[in-house]
Amino acid sequence: MGGDSGSSLPRRYWPRGLNWAALRFTPAFRRQLLRAVVVAIIFLAFLAGLAATFGIAILQYTLAGFVVSSIVIVAAIGLTLIYGIRGFANFAYGDLMTLGAYVALLVNLNGGLSLVWGAIISFMVLAVAGILVEIVIFSHLEGRGPVPPIVASVGLGLIIQNGIRTVATTQQWIYPVPALQEIPIVAGLGIHPIRGIGTIVVGLSFVLAAHILLKYTNLGKAMRATADNLELAKATGIDTKRVTYAAWAISCGFASTAGVLLGLSGVLSPVMGFNVLLLIFAAVIVGGIGSPYGAVLGGLVIGLSQEMSVPLLIWLGQPSVIGLEHSTAYKVAIPFIIMIGVLILRPWGIAGRPPAFARRVFFVERITQAFSRRPAQAKQVEGEEGG
Amino acid sequence: MAIDTGTLTNIGFYVFVSIMFAMLALGFNLQWGYTGLFNAGIAGFFLIGAYVAVFAITPPAPPLIIGGIKVYPGHLGGYSLPLPVGALVAMFVSGAAAALVALPTLRLRADYLAIATLGFAEVVRIFAINLESVTAGTIGIPGIPGPIEFNPPDAFLNTMTKVAVGAAILLGLLIVLQFMVESPWGRVLRAVREDEEATMALGKNTAGYKLQVFALGGALMGLAGWFFAITINYVEPSGSFAPAVTFSVWVMVIVGGSGNHRGAIIGAFVIYGLEWLSVQLKDLAPKFLADTIPYIRLMLVGVLLIVLIIYRPEGILRERKRVLR
Repeated sequence: MGGDSGSSLPRRYWPRGLNWAALRFTPAFRRQLLRAVVVAIIFLAFLAGLAATFGIAILQYTLAGFVVSSIVIVAAIGLTLIYGIRGFANFAYGDLMTLGAYVALLVNLNGGLSLVWGAIISFMVLAVAGILVEIVIFSHLEGRGPVPPIVASVGLGLIIQNGIRTVATTQQWIYPVPALQEIPIVAGLGIHPIRGIGTIVVGLSFVLAAHILLKYTNLGKAMRATADNLELAKATGIDTKRVTYAAWAISCGFASTAGVLLGLSGVLSPVMGFNVLLLIFAAVIVGGIGSPYGAVLGGLVIGLSQEMSVPLLIWLGQPSVIGLEHSTAYKVAIPFIIMIGVLILRPWGIAGRPPAFARRVFFVERITQAFSRRPAQAKQVEGEEGG
Repeated sequence: MAIDTGTLTNIGFYVFVSIMFAMLALGFNLQWGYTGLFNAGIAGFFLIGAYVAVFAITPPAPPLIIGGIKVYPGHLGGYSLPLPVGALVAMFVSGAAAALVALPTLRLRADYLAIATLGFAEVVRIFAINLESVTAGTIGIPGIPGPIEFNPPDAFLNTMTKVAVGAAILLGLLIVLQFMVESPWGRVLRAVREDEEATMALGKNTAGYKLQVFALGGALMGLAGWFFAITINYVEPSGSFAPAVTFSVWVMVIVGGSGNHRGAIIGAFVIYGLEWLSVQLKDLAPKFLADTIPYIRLMLVGVLLIVLIIYRPEGILRERKRVLR
């Protein structure tokens, strides 16, 4: 974030317009790009090593990882937006995804429209629902700390989940998707045109849309300001109430699309969203709470690590190794382990900048400091550089 | 006799399950009501307590293979230890698990702890479902010994002993916990809840206090798991330890009034009473409604959570105001 210096404070923030001046490369952006390229090269080398050792078919899991990542990223951006602006963890987010998937199914089955239209209508329905939820429930809990809104969001999640169970029964549904062959990339390695390529394309376009919204529109700038410091944003003349409504609309819209993508990759059931809630929280925490760019990174880390752990778990499941029963079921534990690791080592997220007080607060830092010979001051400077 | 033993047995069932929920609620109340630590993984610590107790107190259960087909995968343990030993082991393991989960998140904001514990409960449940050689998977573990085995089996006496054991434990817990929270130690807990930084400034090791309380609350949840195992005599991971248990306990503590033990116990009896009544009245409800009653009840739990947290966060029994003299 940051880096759009040069443009003065907008007088009107609501009517949005692209700020072309901000499109140029800033030094910070160039540094980030360089870092991203280095990480990508290391990752590609790792994949090449895997393919050389175990055969090209192992990359099937990487492709699956990218598909899962696309879903997680869309959801994590939506979740982290509300986390940043309203300052609480929305535990109903998984159930909002389920609701989005079911609304799309309803439009598809009863309205006779295609699933794409279903997803679009579902996006709009959920956006309106998000604003309603803020007005009816969460606006009453403003300024009461992080826990009361969590309790209320769990209540909302219970209402949505069991409402779906009552109305649509606990039966599992499948989106009517045309039966298509997987597109072979090389022998033994294929990708489904809708479940694979479609999901990744939708995920990428949502990331791009979120980037443009946050970086180049006045609404996005107002959102980032509100997330950064609510009081200061109010003092600058930003109508934070409208910004909050917009954030809820976008967040719930993203939830609906993530739900449709999730339904596309498997079956629709009342608990489908709740089951992936942990995955999305892990992505948000790994990326750093409140940071949409972190959510993208965290989603990639979580999705890829979960899917690419599958061959390892299958290997562990062989009787000759340790014979772990149902070993692939444990893949959901991988995001949790990564999340705990990040909470211990870097609670501000892998890409985030540590807060100024972090050096004194986190005991792990103290231990690492005790073992490193460099004085604490030198580390402080190094920490400031990143992010 | 005015009331036959069948009805009394039924009511006794309601009472001892309520007592079990009261133990969970007391544990959560200690964590949240007194110290402000929000635990979203109550079901996980409950599950650990139940399974550890079962491993300790059941007779050995080797895998049962009939004609090459594994009929029963068996489970870990089978030490046939006395029940009180099982309770101690369950409390110790659950408490240790709670301390381990809390360790990375205690110095962070309350919502990190909530997310970490929620994830922990889910992961524990997935392990309990899939790790068949340890937990017997979804088949579950039947035949767990109860407090006293009557010969010949008598449902009425059986239930009444469970109620008596539960009531005795609950009374003991209530006395011990009341002394604890009224002590200087309890005063520090409330100080941590109200203003952690100020408490730190007074020289208290707030992270240490939070760790102690979280482990203690986890141990109480483990005790509830042990009580569940010896009263229901059967454990199975997918239904009894679902996240809905966690949310029900939240409602109990919020309804009763967080920050006082009587409130937590009353909340447990009232909220489980609603569930028990809904099961009892199932036959009276029209056919189309009967199947959806559990879902409607959970929706009501959701509505109750939202309404209470907005309009009456202090619950039925308000925490006693403490005035400086």
